[in-house]
Amino acid sequence: MSEISATMDFRRRDARDKLRGRTRYTMDRYLPGMLHAAVLRANVASGRIVRLDTSRAARMRGVRAIVTAADAPGKIGIGIADHPLFARDVIRYDGEPLAAIAADTLAQAQAALATIDVEIAPLPAVLTMAESLAPAAPLVHPDWRDYEVLFEGGARSGNVAWEATVVRGDVDAAFARSDVEIVESSFRVGRQNHVAFEPRAVVASYEDGRFHIETSTQVPWTIRNATARILGVPPSQVRVTVPPVGGAFGLKFDLAIEPFAALLARASGQPVRLVNSREEEMLTCLFRENAEIRIRSAVTRDGEIVGREAVVLMDCGAYGGEQIFLTTMTAHTLGGNYRLGSTRLVSRAVYTNTAPNGAFRCCNGVYCTFALERHTDEIAARIGMDPLAFRRRNVLGDGDLGATGQVFEGNVLAPMLDRMDTLREAAAPSRTLADGRLFGRATTVGTWFVFVGPSAATVNMNADGTVTLVTSGVEIGSGSMMQSLPQIVAGTLGLKPDDVVVRAADTDAAGYDVGVGGGRTTVSLGAASLSAAQEVRTKLLKVASEMIEAAPEDLVMRQGRIEIAGAPGSGRTIADVATRAQAQLGPVSGTGAFTGAGVPAMPGCVAGHFIDAIDIPVFAVHDCDVAVDPETGHVEVLNYRVVQDVGRALNPRAIHGQIQGGVVQGLGYALHEEVTIDTHGRVRQNGFETYRLPLALDVVPVEISLYEGAPSVGPLGTKGAGEVPILNVGATIACAVANATGKRVQELPLTPPRVLELLLDRKGELSLSHIAEAWVDNLVRPHGTAAQNRK
Amino acid sequence: MALSLTVNGDRRASAADPVTPLVDILREEFHLTGTKPVCREGFCGACMVLVDDRPTPSCLMPAALAEGSDIRTVEGLGTGDALTAIQVALETCDAVQCGMCFPGMVVTLTHLLATSPEATRDDIRAALSGNICRCTGYERIVDATLSALAVK
Amino acid sequence: MTAGTLAQGEATGTFYIASSLAAALDALNDYGPEGAAFAGGTWIMRAPIRHQPLKTRHVAIGKIPELTEIRIGTDAIEIGAAVTHAALASALADLPDFAVLTAAAGRSANPAIRSLATIGGNLATSDFSAADCVPALLCLDAQIEVSSRSGRERMSLEAFLTQRSTLAPGRLLTKIVVQRSRHKTAHARLPLRKAGDYPVAIVSLSFDVDTANYVRAARIAIGSVETVARRWDRLEAALLDRPLAPARAADVAAELAGEFVGRESVEVPPWYRVSVLPRLVRRATAAALGA
Ligand SMILES: Cc1cc2nc3c(=O)[nH]c(=O)nc-3n(C[C@H](O)[C@H](O)[C@H](O)COP(=O)(O)OP(=O)(O)OC[C@H]3O[C@@H](n4cnc5c(N)ncnc54)[C@H](O)[C@@H]3O)c2cc1C
Ligand code: FES
Ligand code: FES
Repeated sequence: MSEISATMDFRRRDARDKLRGRTRYTMDRYLPGMLHAAVLRANVASGRIVRLDTSRAARMRGVRAIVTAADAPGKIGIGIADHPLFARDVIRYDGEPLAAIAADTLAQAQAALATIDVEIAPLPAVLTMAESLAPAAPLVHPDWRDYEVLFEGGARSGNVAWEATVVRGDVDAAFARSDVEIVESSFRVGRQNHVAFEPRAVVASYEDGRFHIETSTQVPWTIRNATARILGVPPSQVRVTVPPVGGAFGLKFDLAIEPFAALLARASGQPVRLVNSREEEMLTCLFRENAEIRIRSAVTRDGEIVGREAVVLMDCGAYGGEQIFLTTMTAHTLGGNYRLGSTRLVSRAVYTNTAPNGAFRCCNGVYCTFALERHTDEIAARIGMDPLAFRRRNVLGDGDLGATGQVFEGNVLAPMLDRMDTLREAAAPSRTLADGRLFGRATTVGTWFVFVGPSAATVNMNADGTVTLVTSGVEIGSGSMMQSLPQIVAGTLGLKPDDVVVRAADTDAAGYDVGVGGGRTTVSLGAASLSAAQEVRTKLLKVASEMIEAAPEDLVMRQGRIEIAGAPGSGRTIADVATRAQAQLGPVSGTGAFTGAGVPAMPGCVAGHFIDAIDIPVFAVHDCDVAVDPETGHVEVLNYRVVQDVGRALNPRAIHGQIQGGVVQGLGYALHEEVTIDTHGRVRQNGFETYRLPLALDVVPVEISLYEGAPSVGPLGTKGAGEVPILNVGATIACAVANATGKRVQELPLTPPRVLELLLDRKGELSLSHIAEAWVDNLVRPHGTAAQNRK
Repeated sequence: MALSLTVNGDRRASAADPVTPLVDILREEFHLTGTKPVCREGFCGACMVLVDDRPTPSCLMPAALAEGSDIRTVEGLGTGDALTAIQVALETCDAVQCGMCFPGMVVTLTHLLATSPEATRDDIRAALSGNICRCTGYERIVDATLSALAVK
Repeated sequence: MTAGTLAQGEATGTFYIASSLAAALDALNDYGPEGAAFAGGTWIMRAPIRHQPLKTRHVAIGKIPELTEIRIGTDAIEIGAAVTHAALASALADLPDFAVLTAAAGRSANPAIRSLATIGGNLATSDFSAADCVPALLCLDAQIEVSSRSGRERMSLEAFLTQRSTLAPGRLLTKIVVQRSRHKTAHARLPLRKAGDYPVAIVSLSFDVDTANYVRAARIAIGSVETVARRWDRLEAALLDRPLAPARAADVAAELAGEFVGRESVEVPPWYRVSVLPRLVRRATAAALGA
């Protein structure tokens, strides 16, 4: 196949309509007879439902259907099925759904909601992880023992929804060595809201005994299966299609409001649209979780990390959700980047009576990288080593072991650090600022992965010389479906990307797919599409070889033709061959499937993990210069540089766009975007006035260098490029601010008040007293040998 | 009493409550869904329309106040199938990602192109301080605007 | 109803667009407590987000010629209450004695909001602590004209601020009057991002400085720190009859800042608003001297 033709900078086919306002996202859809829905939500964090009477609402003008907990018998979850659609008897967070109404207009639906008679008896709530882990704390799920377990292996107990551990080597022995310094650091981060511009939205209808759900999601198959489970119907009764998605970032990686609309459509017999209000999005989005981290390392004077242990607490909110899975990631993020002699890590998903958290671009990687990189700077300072030299000495290289004992291939991070040196020197920043602000700089490294998993693709060859690519992939804005996939298929078949028609996701048309996220579109869907296209290629070449009278091996597909290699203009057009093939054999198509092969870890190292090792690691090196105003605490980012491991860049310009966007989202996380929870358990930032996204004046152009050539099992050597740009932004800004101020940065975001607080020494060191002093005392289930755990 | 609005040159009637935000009438009654209500509080600019040539957040404009004005939504900007100068520039620069902010960006920048031919990078960023984009990190939007200004 | 357009929808809301001041005052008088003036609407239209009910009867005042005029005289300027921030900033751009007001009107919010939001709305919104024009006009010693069907009255802005939340139905802020002077003025606001935010603290100041750079008169107003903006009398007194220097002004501000108690809010802790005052005093003083 012609490798070169797969690399190109070409424009997106969806741009024109998006620029003209013609694209119809889910929130813009309108069906004849469509009703509008609204959801009644609890306004206490914890309570018992004494009465929920919808009879008055049912008589309100325009009301067509009302559904409540009785209509949705199932429970869903990742790992454990703990999450019902509506609060049943018990309310576990402020904002938990109680009932949903469909009416002729939205105003009528909202008016009817207000007439539902609810009485709730408040119960004690646990709003922070410290409260939740306190002895004798009220349990968010008193019946946790009875829940159906969907994935075996996690340790659980009371408010600890899930616990995953890693133990490799003898950490106690490492810490006991006489030649080491012990460095301990604690960190805390808040939540981050995705603020996808299109809120979660759905239009559902019910026809011929099946649900049709049009929704703004990254995971059509999850929506299909989870909706069915919640509703108690066979999954085959649910069809999910996905219009263009107006931003996702992980927010739409889980079931959301789809079942409400589905139930209401069935109950009313009419199509139903439900769109979250911005306030609902602000208060109940599946945030990037708040987390608390303590990390300790034993490091020799010459900079060898002989032992590392950490405790990571992740707030899952009222239901386990994605955090259950994400406990797995600590091993590869906090346990990543560096060679470790021995290590033990525990990450615990903790229930609280707050809105459930979820997945957000690079998930736990963002704050674990923040913690790890700040800790790394603290180690370097302690042993008197240059932080960059320390990193260079310790970054993972070829043959090194990861935390779970997987063997890393290739030297990637070290040459990426070299690459960053050249970028940085070319920029030559000034170290003192004329205006009295404090200058700081930092370089950090980060490890993330591509979430491989099952994907399917079909390529249909059309007699007109175009092909149709059928997958369950969704265009969420990153361009993968508009650029990478057509490029891969077009490159294989010698077509122009525009000749590849991309079918929008439809679970009735395409096979199973894990979803678009985790940087996996280009890799998993790309690999499935590649093999489907290769099958088409093989079939076409066979037919062509008869038509051209040449052996298939001697033929090439290029520029819409099948030709004898080295003889441009020979042979036939692909359309001719396809037409002949169709007449002779029937229409030509190919199917492809992909799933990650699975990389081995060291036996016995991990417990409670969903994956033991990462199939495709992705590395990033970030660097920035900041100026800190000592009187106001404002941090200005002066320069930002990224060297990103992309495996192979199919469309460098598109990747640059993803990096600029991802870094800016990271700047939001690092500097502006703050979520706080009031004493009643409600998120305080209910709109754009208080939740501050970076604006055009707050950003800088990111200097970018794509690092190609690292090993990858992805098609054509690709890795996911869209997710990882956010990974070490929080870390880099934090390290640079610490460098500028000489203060111990332990929390994000670094809003002006938080920075000023640091500068003025207004607040003492962060103390996490709910993390036990001895690592082993933090575990609900012991892991490792007696010697390792000293119990 | 029915409201009478002039949208993209067409006169249209609406029976909505007079303080209904213009954005809701445009979308729900006239099906001009290019205009996006994202924040409904004047910060994001995704609902921007031109009211008598002035960029106006349609979430804050009561429909009754828009009577008698020339309302132009993103759908009414180009002629026929042709893109406007700023749309061409944004497409050429591969600026678009999810696209939700772009109708509002295009409206604001259409006005900027018409009124500030000398705009610098910083002027453009300042002009966009009421247009938020969650996806792109803005740089390409600024680049595209500069290139559209250069063409003019 | 004497003039204007009346629109009425199914939810019984009334929206009356007044074409003359008399018509507006009549309508407001008739509507009584049900009614409210509707200026730029940038505050009113966000009522749903604040979970506040909208008034049922609005009188739009933005199309009343008298209220949208700016008269620049040799002794004073008169600003109609419905003048937008954008219009005000561009009308005053060349008047150095009004640099403070130009900055307040020209840098608040974002461009589209500035061309909707009015100065009258900015002064009249009693729940809004971060209003930029309030401290700017306090330091200019502005007079406020309030009209009703029974006549017009003048009062100081300070007096208006204490009355505004209980302004009787039917009364409308119609005009702002500011004397011209040789004063050096400046407005320093601190948003959390570079722009586009409410300021967490505002220092507006106006100095009469003699040729030897001594302060002969000083008016300094602080906005957004407490619930309502106010003059900082002690700082004014401390700077009087001394040479004006940004660093010294900031030092004195730091000594005196303890008299402010920051308001509670989601954005920043109370202490922060007070902490940044010296910095803003220095910035504003430097800007005033530069002007
Ligand atoms: C995105 C955004 C950002 C903002 N940023 C800032 C900022 O940085 N700084 C700042 O100062 N403001 C800011 N504003 C705030 C503010 O909404 C307006 O500046 C102003 O307070 C409202 O003016 P308006 O003309 O829109 O008032 P309206 O919304 O029309 O009215 C507000 C209130 O005042 C009353 N009222 C209006 N005019 C009169 C009158 N003449 N007489 C008596 N009562 C009257 C109304 O009845 C109503 O109660 C921002 C607003 C938005 C939407
Ligand atoms: S929706 Fe109107 S400004 Fe955001
Ligand atoms: S492209 Fe998604 S918000 Fe701008």
